[in-house]
Amino acid sequence: MGMKALVIGSIGDAGLIGLAQKVERPEIHYLLIGPGDATQLGRYGVSKVYQLTTLIDEASLAETLADLVSKEAYSIIITPVSKYFKTAIPMAAQKLSSSLFVDVVDIKQSGDTLEVVYNGIGNRAQLSVRVSGKVFLMAPPARFKPSESPVSTTIETLQPKVVSAVKVVSTEEKPKGKVRIEDAELIVSVGRGFKKQEDLKLAFELAEVLGAEIGCSRPIAADLKWLSEDHWIGLSGHKVRPKLYIAIGISGQPQHLAGMMESRTVVVINNDPNAPFFKNCDYGVVEDLYKFVPALTKKLREILKK
Amino acid sequence: MEIIALVKLALDTGQLRMTETKIDLDATPLKISDIDRNAVEEAIRVRDKVGGKVHVISALKYGPIQKRQQEAESLLREVLAMGADDAYLIIDEALINGDQLITAKAIAAAIKKLGNYDLIIAGEATIDGYTSQVGPRVAAELGIPALTFVRELRIEGNKVVAKRDLEDAVQTVEAPLPALVTVTREINVPRIPPLLQIRAAMKKPIYRLSLADLGLSLKPAVEIRSITPIQVKRKGVIIKEGTVEEKVDKLIQALIQEGLITPR
Ligand SMILES: Cc1cc2nc3c(=O)[nH]c(=O)nc-3n(C[C@H](O)[C@H](O)[C@H](O)COP(=O)(O)OP(=O)(O)OC[C@H]3O[C@@H](n4cnc5c(N)ncnc54)[C@H](O)[C@@H]3O)c2cc1C
Ligand SMILES: Nc1ncnc2c1ncn2[C@@H]1O[C@H](COP(=O)(O)O)[C@@H](O)[C@H]1O
Repeated sequence: MGMKALVIGSIGDAGLIGLAQKVERPEIHYLLIGPGDATQLGRYGVSKVYQLTTLIDEASLAETLADLVSKEAYSIIITPVSKYFKTAIPMAAQKLSSSLFVDVVDIKQSGDTLEVVYNGIGNRAQLSVRVSGKVFLMAPPARFKPSESPVSTTIETLQPKVVSAVKVVSTEEKPKGKVRIEDAELIVSVGRGFKKQEDLKLAFELAEVLGAEIGCSRPIAADLKWLSEDHWIGLSGHKVRPKLYIAIGISGQPQHLAGMMESRTVVVINNDPNAPFFKNCDYGVVEDLYKFVPALTKKLREILKK
Repeated sequence: MEIIALVKLALDTGQLRMTETKIDLDATPLKISDIDRNAVEEAIRVRDKVGGKVHVISALKYGPIQKRQQEAESLLREVLAMGADDAYLIIDEALINGDQLITAKAIAAAIKKLGNYDLIIAGEATIDGYTSQVGPRVAAELGIPALTFVRELRIEGNKVVAKRDLEDAVQTVEAPLPALVTVTREINVPRIPPLLQIRAAMKKPIYRLSLADLGLSLKPAVEIRSITPIQVKRKGVIIKEGTVEEKVDKLIQALIQEGLITPR
């Protein structure tokens, strides 16, 4: 048998099995959190599913996982990227004296060691490292396509080890948007150059003429809450790759660039000729957005007959 | 209260020294990882409310050590000038380019060496690593609770009450002290120290610790094979001259040429 891998996630995270399949003849198990038909995972070669039916807090997951990983002697443990896992997994990894890599792109096995390729240094570089021993990996499930190699699956309910380090007092849901900005072909993105929330109307009108989605920098969503977080682009927000990205009143800090670097054509509108974004654009317009954006929208409306 | 702020001297990702095929880590300047200023700010605010001391701990991750020592100390002076009481700089060849497992072990050992501690504050993530793992790792190493992604925090007697900023919800949590908290960028606005404090900070102590001082001997389990820049070539056409209407026309021409819009 090859390396033993554990994939952790909901039923929708099964894409991560594709990453586990990259090692030679892997034995793949799945820790299924929440509901879902565990038997269907057998299609992708998952020989055993542990099911965790109750949602537990991060510290409890870390404890439960540390025990499970020791018992099963997994050498690779894979999870999606989320704040839940970013809290639980480092604790488990520390208990097990293992490394953790986030935003993994690829893995390659050579003997006992694993080569891990991941995005790092503020998403400005791809690093390749060699690790021996157990390793934890985080990646977006949609990045991988598991291939089919059906096996029969055994299913076992996992009894969590619940610890009560942190007590949840209350939970308040956030307003939910319904934009999937990752899939947008055209994006009009707004930043702190807009003085008031009402002024975003200028960008909405431009987006409407173009048929574009609205994106934004972190302060617009996180500090000011002018837009819901599904619009947030960057290192800590969504990663986008549209055909056209129009950044209006965004300075172009590296943490913003990290989320839109793969855009095909980048247009920047900023009244400060020294804004860093001008060094990372295809077309840069030095102008006050309050004058330029309405004029651009008007002209586009004319030529696109909208 | 004894409060500890964890500060990383991170690669300045806005000033990476790179060619098309390589990033030169040794030549890239360091800076205080942005959100760690928020961590220090929050530590100072808590101290000013409940009394006590703020200690800063930093483990140097980038070499060459000879060249970085001076740079590291003058960066730590910036957080001392904000109001932290003293700083501990862990410098050891074994930590250079090492992974977060050994960083957390070294930091936890330094915290234990300090003796008493009530509250440890880290950033939600660094600008270069951006992994959010060092905080929870240190908590696990010390066996204390971790409250992550916190955007509001207060001390109530012997416990910490915090608002966690999660993807779909804001969660209010509490835990007994000692505890570790990681803070988001939105928790506060870090102060910019006035000149007088910058001068006063020159007198504050920065203690250096090696792994031997901490009774540790660590070996990195990770070997970096390559670092390839992710770079995209951009046209860099700047439209600066003319009236607003002329600029609009120039941009629209460009978009037509790129095949992004088609006049009807
Ligand atoms: C770890 C970490 C993660 C982060 N993650 C993200 C992230 O995911 N996404 C993100 O966006 N940021 C992120 N940030 C924050 C990032 O560093 C910047 O602070 C942020 O992107 C700045 O937002 P902005 O460009 O909208 O605002 P500012 O930097 O304030 O820029 C506003 C711009 O508007 C221009 N402007 C002002 N008035 C006008 C006008 N009338 N007409 C035209 N232009 C005008 C100004 O010249 C300026 O360039 C992160 C930071 C850290 C430390
Ligand atoms: N080398 C370091 N020295 C001190 N603190 C660190 C170091 N690396 C990370 N931290 C702390 O851990 C947080 C998260 O870092 P990271 O896991 O790199 O995203 C940072 O914001 C710091 O507070």
